[in-house]
Amino acid sequence: MYDINRAESAVTQQDIKISARNVQVYYGDTHAIKDVNVEILDKTVTAFIGPSGCGKSTFLRCINRMNDSIDIARIEGQIRLDGQDIYDRKVDPVQLRARVGMVFQKPNPFPKSIYDNVAYGPKIHGLARNKAELDEIVEKSLRGSALWNEVKDRLLEPGTGLSGGQQQRLCIARAVATAPEVLLMDEPCSALDPIATGQVEELIEQLRSQFSVVIVTHSMQQAARVSQKTAFFHLGNLVEYGETDDIFTKPQDSRTESYISGRIG
Amino acid sequence: MTDQTNDAPQASHGWASPEFQNRLSRRRRSEAILKGVGLGAILFAFLMLGILLWTLISGGTQAFRQTHITLDVPISAELVDAEDPSRGNYRNVMNEAMQVTFPDAEEGDLRALSGIVSNAAQFEVRDRIVADPSLIGQTITIKVPVSDPYDQLNKGNVDTESDETMRRLNDAAIGWFQQLQDEGRISKPINWALITNADSRFPELAGLKGAIIGSFYALLVCFLISFPLGIGAAIYLEEFAPKNRLSDVIEVNINNLAAVPSVVFGLLALAVFLGWFGMPRSAPLVGGMTLALMTMPTIIIATRAALKAVPPSIREAALGVGASKQQVVFGHVLPLAMPGILTGTIIGLAQALGETAPLLLIGMNAFVTAAPSTPLDAATALPTQIFIWADSPERGFVSRTSAAILVLLGFLVMMNALAIFLRNRFERRW
Repeated sequence: MYDINRAESAVTQQDIKISARNVQVYYGDTHAIKDVNVEILDKTVTAFIGPSGCGKSTFLRCINRMNDSIDIARIEGQIRLDGQDIYDRKVDPVQLRARVGMVFQKPNPFPKSIYDNVAYGPKIHGLARNKAELDEIVEKSLRGSALWNEVKDRLLEPGTGLSGGQQQRLCIARAVATAPEVLLMDEPCSALDPIATGQVEELIEQLRSQFSVVIVTHSMQQAARVSQKTAFFHLGNLVEYGETDDIFTKPQDSRTESYISGRIG
Repeated sequence: MTDQTNDAPQASHGWASPEFQNRLSRRRRSEAILKGVGLGAILFAFLMLGILLWTLISGGTQAFRQTHITLDVPISAELVDAEDPSRGNYRNVMNEAMQVTFPDAEEGDLRALSGIVSNAAQFEVRDRIVADPSLIGQTITIKVPVSDPYDQLNKGNVDTESDETMRRLNDAAIGWFQQLQDEGRISKPINWALITNADSRFPELAGLKGAIIGSFYALLVCFLISFPLGIGAAIYLEEFAPKNRLSDVIEVNINNLAAVPSVVFGLLALAVFLGWFGMPRSAPLVGGMTLALMTMPTIIIATRAALKAVPPSIREAALGVGASKQQVVFGHVLPLAMPGILTGTIIGLAQALGETAPLLLIGMNAFVTAAPSTPLDAATALPTQIFIWADSPERGFVSRTSAAILVLLGFLVMMNALAIFLRNRFERRW
């Protein structure tokens, strides 16, 4: 059924990067995430799938504490990054977000030049000591997000002038520039056309060699194409988590089976 | 998905039936009425604006020209001492000049004759002599404003046919003026005194310099106080303040503050700034502080609206790469909100420029004949100057009031144009 060009399943390293224990999220009175336990591996693409409103994006935003800016959100449980509880009082959410980068659903480059978009993160974190180093980071990041050849002659033009797919790759370059350990992607291709989607997916596969990628997607084909691990969320519960192949070929839970065969969602 | 039914509403009438045609024409009619009413409202507004401007311009243009007289003034050494020219008897110098101009005038007419020339003439002669004492003993030619009644006569505002006792100038005076005109001594150049002179008791000398500088200082103080405080308050409330009952109360109160009658701010300033702090009366500094109280809520509201209008995706993007809240606000949100903030600020300042009531209460409607050199000197502002002139009985102040309103409107138009320019200049797309 899913005879698609699946990503290499051989996971090079099986270190646990992120481990979540009994995570609960409340939005006011709504219990949005119920008791989620998951272990995300290093140098692996993990896909979160599930119907709309199932909590996959909410959980993703817990991993870099983006929910902190929502006043009514309350988080319980533990999320450990390399064994360190990220909700610990000693952890600075601002620094955490440099280590756990994020790419959003809609491409959202800053209304600045392409160069400044990529250079912003390294600048505010002091990752470059001088202009030459900064130039190098920018080039490396843009090469890393497969955008360099398209924009190298117009680095000073506004990032908002690029096409949708280029903008999204620029956002990936921006996230990559701070040398994150984990890259969170919240439906990164939902606003892109199929060609741009293909380019971003190819990019995700390349990025996996450097760090762990967590991607939320509505497209099951995309999850099957890009990920090695898949987690299926339903109504705030993590229903099933395992090898992508297993989830799509022999799901254990009846809800998973219903979803991937299109009966719920 | 599967529970799709086939009982979708079916049209029971044909779309062409008379009932539907009636309905359609009713809808069209009500739409046409709505359009007509809207257009009418706009035309009415333009008509009123046109009437206002026409009244001001037709009344005020006269004040942009001032009748001047060219006189030969003999400077006799008897009246002006070469040792100390500044203390000469210049009133008599002017009387002599009138005697020379009207050689056949009788002794009794001299007083009335010297009334043709503005009071300022003797001071102008004095200044010339002090600057160059070698002129004593010679005859100099000066060009000075005529006094207001003759200015009005020259501008055609005096009905020479009316009963002599009902006007300020009798037939003899009109005859003298006619004689001067025939000799080519009367001219009507542009009245630069309107902007280069400060206020005066004499309409022909009164100008707006003091009021313009007073307004400028007051607005400067107002801007320096209300802009940073307003933006700071707005940023805190919008970006950092916890969303609780207290911030709701603060928000409601700021909105109410923007609607408080300005005279109340004037009373507050009178009690606090003048009463408690003992600050100088009539000073543009205090005026500016009072106007800042009024302008701040406007700036806070405009700034909050501008901050709110910045798309959340930009905040998320910045937060996502690890920017701190402060970096997000100052690096991304504020620059994008700047056009809106500037527009709101300039509109607020324009409002402050036209504000009269609070300035009356702190004494900025005083009669001040010198332009202020610092914000601590007594001064008037443009709206209070208009208020003073509108209250003055001399004919010359009628057209000067209109002219002053035109000057004020000119400044307002300039400020609004600046607001539009800044908005277009800094507006960025995302």
